[in-house]
Amino acid sequence: MSDTLYLITLFPLVGFLVNGLLGRWISERQSGLIASLAVLGSLLVSAQLLLGLLARPAEDRLFVQLLFAWIPVGDLNIDVMYRFDPLTAVMTLVITGVGLLIHIYSLGYMRGDPGIRRYYAFLNLFTFMMLNLVLADNLVLLFMGWEGVGLCSYLLIGFWFADEAKARAGLKAFIVNRIGDAGFIIAMVLLFHQFGTLSMSEMAGKAEGALVGPNFFTIVTLLLLVGAIGKSAQIPLFVWLPDAMAGPTPVSALIHAATMVTAGVYLIVRNSLLFSLAPTTMATVAAIGVLTAFLAATIAMTQTDIKKVLAYSTISQLGYMFMAVGVGAFSAGIFHLMTHAFFKALLFLGAGSVIHGLDGEQELGKMGGLKHRMPGTHWTMLIGVLAISGIPGLSGFFSKDEILWGAFIWHDGVNWIWLLGIMTAGLTAFYMFRLYFLVFHGPARWPGDTQPHESPSVMTIPLTLLAYLAILGGYVGIPEALGGINRFHHFLAPVVISYHTAIAAAPNTRPLELLLMAVSTVVSLGGVYYAYRIYRVQPALAEQLARRLRPLYGLSRNRYYVDEFYQAVVVRPFQKLSGLCWNWFDVRAIDGLVNASARSIARLSGVVRQLQSGLIQHYASLILLGVIFIMLYITMG
Amino acid sequence: MTASLFYLFAVGLLGASLFVVLNPNPMYSVVALVFGFANLAAIYFLLEAYFIGALQVLVYAGAIMVLFLFVVMLLNVQSDADHPSLPRVFRIGSWWFGALALVFIGLFLLLVGRSALALLAPSEVPPTQIGSVSQVGEALFTRYLLPFELASLLLTVALIGTVFLAKKKI
Amino acid sequence: MNAADILSTLPELVLTVTALGLLLLEVMGKPPRARFVWVALGGVGLALGLEFAVPSEGQFYAGMISVDLFTRFFNVLFLTTAAGSLLISVPYLRRTLEERGEYYALTLFATVGMMFMAKAHDLTITFLGLELLSVSLYILVAFYRNRVRSNEAGLKYLLLGAFSTGFFLFGIALIYGSTGTTHYDGIRLAIGSGEQLSMALTVTGFGLLIIGFAFKVALVPFHMYAPDVYEGAPTPITAFVSTGPKVAGFAAFLKVIATAFAFTTQHWWGILWILAAITMTVGNITALRQDNLKRMLAFSGVAHAGYLAIAIMVGSADSAFALLFYLAAYAITTLGAFGIVSLIEGEDESGLDMDSYRGLARRSPYLAGVFALIMLSLAGFPPTAGFLGKFFIFSAAIDEGYTWLVIIAVVNSLISVYYYLRPVVAMYMQEPADESAVAVPAFIVPVLLLVVLVALGLGLFPMSLVKNSIAAAGSLF
Repeated sequence: MSDTLYLITLFPLVGFLVNGLLGRWISERQSGLIASLAVLGSLLVSAQLLLGLLARPAEDRLFVQLLFAWIPVGDLNIDVMYRFDPLTAVMTLVITGVGLLIHIYSLGYMRGDPGIRRYYAFLNLFTFMMLNLVLADNLVLLFMGWEGVGLCSYLLIGFWFADEAKARAGLKAFIVNRIGDAGFIIAMVLLFHQFGTLSMSEMAGKAEGALVGPNFFTIVTLLLLVGAIGKSAQIPLFVWLPDAMAGPTPVSALIHAATMVTAGVYLIVRNSLLFSLAPTTMATVAAIGVLTAFLAATIAMTQTDIKKVLAYSTISQLGYMFMAVGVGAFSAGIFHLMTHAFFKALLFLGAGSVIHGLDGEQELGKMGGLKHRMPGTHWTMLIGVLAISGIPGLSGFFSKDEILWGAFIWHDGVNWIWLLGIMTAGLTAFYMFRLYFLVFHGPARWPGDTQPHESPSVMTIPLTLLAYLAILGGYVGIPEALGGINRFHHFLAPVVISYHTAIAAAPNTRPLELLLMAVSTVVSLGGVYYAYRIYRVQPALAEQLARRLRPLYGLSRNRYYVDEFYQAVVVRPFQKLSGLCWNWFDVRAIDGLVNASARSIARLSGVVRQLQSGLIQHYASLILLGVIFIMLYITMG
Repeated sequence: MTASLFYLFAVGLLGASLFVVLNPNPMYSVVALVFGFANLAAIYFLLEAYFIGALQVLVYAGAIMVLFLFVVMLLNVQSDADHPSLPRVFRIGSWWFGALALVFIGLFLLLVGRSALALLAPSEVPPTQIGSVSQVGEALFTRYLLPFELASLLLTVALIGTVFLAKKKI
Repeated sequence: MNAADILSTLPELVLTVTALGLLLLEVMGKPPRARFVWVALGGVGLALGLEFAVPSEGQFYAGMISVDLFTRFFNVLFLTTAAGSLLISVPYLRRTLEERGEYYALTLFATVGMMFMAKAHDLTITFLGLELLSVSLYILVAFYRNRVRSNEAGLKYLLLGAFSTGFFLFGIALIYGSTGTTHYDGIRLAIGSGEQLSMALTVTGFGLLIIGFAFKVALVPFHMYAPDVYEGAPTPITAFVSTGPKVAGFAAFLKVIATAFAFTTQHWWGILWILAAITMTVGNITALRQDNLKRMLAFSGVAHAGYLAIAIMVGSADSAFALLFYLAAYAITTLGAFGIVSLIEGEDESGLDMDSYRGLARRSPYLAGVFALIMLSLAGFPPTAGFLGKFFIFSAAIDEGYTWLVIIAVVNSLISVYYYLRPVVAMYMQEPADESAVAVPAFIVPVLLLVVLVALGLGLFPMSLVKNSIAAAGSLF
């Protein structure tokens, strides 16, 4: 069974190579088909492996495949090994399942684009990297996937490169991710130094009871957290994700909603043992998560670009997942990761369909009344909106409530994390229904010459399938309080740490759980109600509220001025430093001048003179300065 | 006696070298160089390295310096002072470069000065005949054979380079 | 001298004879110049074969050189680099009508210099090897006599090189004055037994040696010549200048510090710490603003010298092995990078800016793929050899407790990703100015294959190189 693991990544790799190198010889349509088939292949293999896992007893659910011994010398022993356990199973199925639908959707969305082969090549490369990330047993391989998805994301954001702003958006994503990567690499080297291995399973074996400094685990996990924060767009590194929306919408759906951005959550869950040994880090994760969830939700309430709303919504939901893993509800975090992948991909693809139908319009202010023009898109999106708002019966409800329950029992009762979490749930329902009403209801605000039209079926079929997933995806984890057995939690139990607190251990928590569910449902419905009042019944109210709450509204509208802050505190000083280095260590400007004049003289003697009058002297002085520094050092030492 | 003679020649050598570097007129510089080489040869003689001393006079002070003089006179190189562009080497930034050089020399003296006592102590075995014909010859063809050959290779390459870069038509 | 001595330098002798033969052929005017490169490659191939066919071990020429696995590792690397640079040069020389015997001969002479630098077991040989390499390069950099920039670069290199050589020679003199010998073992014994005149003299001498090496490998602030020389030199020579002296400089540096000074680093590790940190930072940050590929790669080379200086400073067996691994990966990938740059480069030195790489992926997908691979390897993306090299150096440094330096290095290597990806983005994400494929001459193909083999092959299956580097580094301890 386990010897088919490599097939999961092999298919997309082949797809990438075919599209990347032989692109000239295949048609646009073939290119899309090849890419989709590659992902389909991975999906089938993963599904078969999942069945294989389920056929085994719970404690024995693990397939490993040693691909090759990478560096087997002495104490340096690095193997390249794939590992397929329940956590990996969930991730691979999400990546390949949602990925496949998005590949198919792109057939319609990207039709006629001249760079479509390149697009599919990168999409397959991304899938390959992402699958490596989740299948890796070893930090180096994980890091390869980690860097690889970042690279693909960077390239795909800039896909429509003609636009200067889009190129810059890619750059921002890139830089922020570099900060996160620094944490990752340093953590990796520290862990290697400590445990002499990079295999995460071996590390976990050695971590408990390891003789390390008191702060070792805290430092290492905090460094890993920096990496996770960068990838998953959490405070304070979330600025890149909204800008990343410059890429094509299917890319936003796949990379910036369903898969890559959840890699941070995956990283923490994968190393849950290390994190559980560092309570400080865990508290930090929870705090960062809930604050991000709340702040991003408040920003999403006032954005007017449909993709920006969804982007902040993604940040907010990722915050939810961080909060879950921070309070120790690791399986709930992954559960939400999965349901979120379904409904957020659905929402993005739906938004893409709307944008497609309106010839590229993204402003909410120029939409409205599309309910009848785009019925398929409307209904599927409504399901997505209901799911993310946590309306009972849909997938989002189950995962969200499990997280809130985890937050509640974290400190054995009402605590600020839980409170902020539940407020966020209300805000989420509010801004999602705001989006829904502004797009599909009310008067049509699009320009007269636009003819909104429903998208082709190659786009609506993936939407429909995702809508089913968004409804049904939650039923694998019906909590015990509702009479289910929470299969999902038990499925993941062997690979993640679970926390035991007083309330959770209490004999009968069912009434309490039910009560909390009722509370969160009421809050969500409240959000829906206010959105309905403000944006459907009395559209003028929105303006009034905005005016009355001007300071708050302004803060939210301008995203708390975080971008401006970074620009002033980080970007400009760095530019200055770079300019300084440029002036000091690279005098190309002067050099060019010298050369230009030298060319006109075009005689060696002339060059010599020019050289001697300035540069050589400059360089030699610097050398002498270095010499003096070394002598001075020796004198002092 | 030997010590005082050494200091005399050493001062002569240093003075001559400084003159070479600082004097704007290339003609004077070359003559000062000859003087410096003569001092160096004298130091070799003091060390009883007669052969090397003689070679120093013959090769450097003799042949090479004559070559230098020829080149300077043939090219009719003007004094730096008459040349508007060249002296800028010494004018622009020269005080700054000179100051750096002085700092370097100061630091160097400080470092070496720490071991001044050790340096001043007379060497236990006075060197005798290290530079005789037979000894130089023997060293060159036994222990220092490889450096000798490598040095000749280096000179060959330098020669190729000079010819290649300087010759108008090749 | 005896037969064993001759045998121990057989590869160098072969190269020297080949080089002299090429000069003679040039003077005689026959055979046609197009055959010269085969003569040169034949010499390199023969030397490479002899390296394995006639292995030596021990000290030769009265202790002037020592031959062991370490020197063999580097000789193979030098000869490979030389062969690669010869291959890259041919199309360029033919295109510019400058194919001449001197060019090939000088490349071989420079290689002989590098080989002696690694083999040297006496500072006299180190110095002579260094000078042989440098003088050959001065001429090669200025080889295009009718190009002002080439001349300018050669002159700058010569003047500054002579300046730094002065310090190097002075350092040797001080060490000789203090210990009474220039032999590596002798110096180590003198320091160990306290029979030197004064420690201060020895340390000062070594400090001056560091300056000589720092200049050759382009550590800040001794690097200023590098961008000008790299940019001004004809591109195939840039490939050679950016790899040969750096590899040879680090080889000799490592050997001197390990053999003659037995890693008694307490006196100068601080110097190297600071030099490494400044070098990485200045190299990377300045590279950010380069639009000219040759200049960007020059500053990238400066930055890499910074990472390598960490390995020298750490001074453990692990770091020595990491240094060797890194050097091999760096040398071959950089060679390939300049090889591709020389292909894209148009007449009259145009086509060196980032814009010339627009849409290369569409014009020549394979070439673009190799170039992207090189950039990713230089940037240290897994699973390339560049990543492993960095990983080995960083973990060796962490093991010895240099955590802060590693943090600086990690941040630096992340900054560097930005400018390495610029050509990648240009190649893959931007539209080409014209659709014509770039002609890839047959001479370049083996170099490109070698690059792929090293960057990706050694990234995926690094065992062979790891084993050899460990064995080679082991013979220093």
